[in-house]
Amino acid sequence: MKTIKHLFVIVFIISGSVILTNSKVSDSVFIMLALFIIILFITNLFLRKNLTYKYYFMSKYNFLTSKYKSKQAYDISKKLMFEKVIEVIKHSNFVLTDIKKDTSEILAISPMSLISWGENLYIRFESTEDKTMMYFCSTSFFLMYSWGKNEGNYKKLLNNIEDSLTI
Amino acid sequence: MPIIVNLDVVLAQRKIKLKDLSKKVGVSTVNLSILKQGKVKAIRFSTLEAICAVLKCQPGDILEYAD
Repeated sequence: MKTIKHLFVIVFIISGSVILTNSKVSDSVFIMLALFIIILFITNLFLRKNLTYKYYFMSKYNFLTSKYKSKQAYDISKKLMFEKVIEVIKHSNFVLTDIKKDTSEILAISPMSLISWGENLYIRFESTEDKTMMYFCSTSFFLMYSWGKNEGNYKKLLNNIEDSLTI
Repeated sequence: MPIIVNLDVVLAQRKIKLKDLSKKVGVSTVNLSILKQGKVKAIRFSTLEAICAVLKCQPGDILEYAD
């Protein structure tokens, strides 16, 4: 699936560039395209701050965002783990954006920088027999490739959690 | 894990709530709860010292080794 997406993106970019440079497209088409991108960007900017729209960013059909999903088991209760991760995020440079206590879900955003708009970090917890599973998903906000930033966020969060278990 | 944490026993003996201990020691309630369950990775000497000072006890009252 990922390979197909990568191929699609490459074909999309190359064909788009060829069509736009070779054809005599009017200025209005360029303006429309630019407007569409700007509107999409602003929409994403607002939607990213709410857990309600997580499926939009996490969906495998949303080819405008790159995703990294992983999970980790902990032998700490779900309630404690939920509070622990909130505490860890508050003490890290991630920005805690939204919390849903009833479903044990957390949304955090990694900080913006010169090379990144910041990624959305969706974290949720589920209780299994004697463990708590932490499901993690880092999605870029308006980028088809994260250049390893999504994986980096996961490693950073795991390290922060591990460090915080030394009291 | 062969190390047993008896923090809840000591807290009950001293009639001190976890929340109050948290404020006095400067460690979050979440961390103390995790410690109480024996799920922490490690405990700093400074934290142990602060807990012992507040609860007026020995480290051995809080931590116990069992085969």
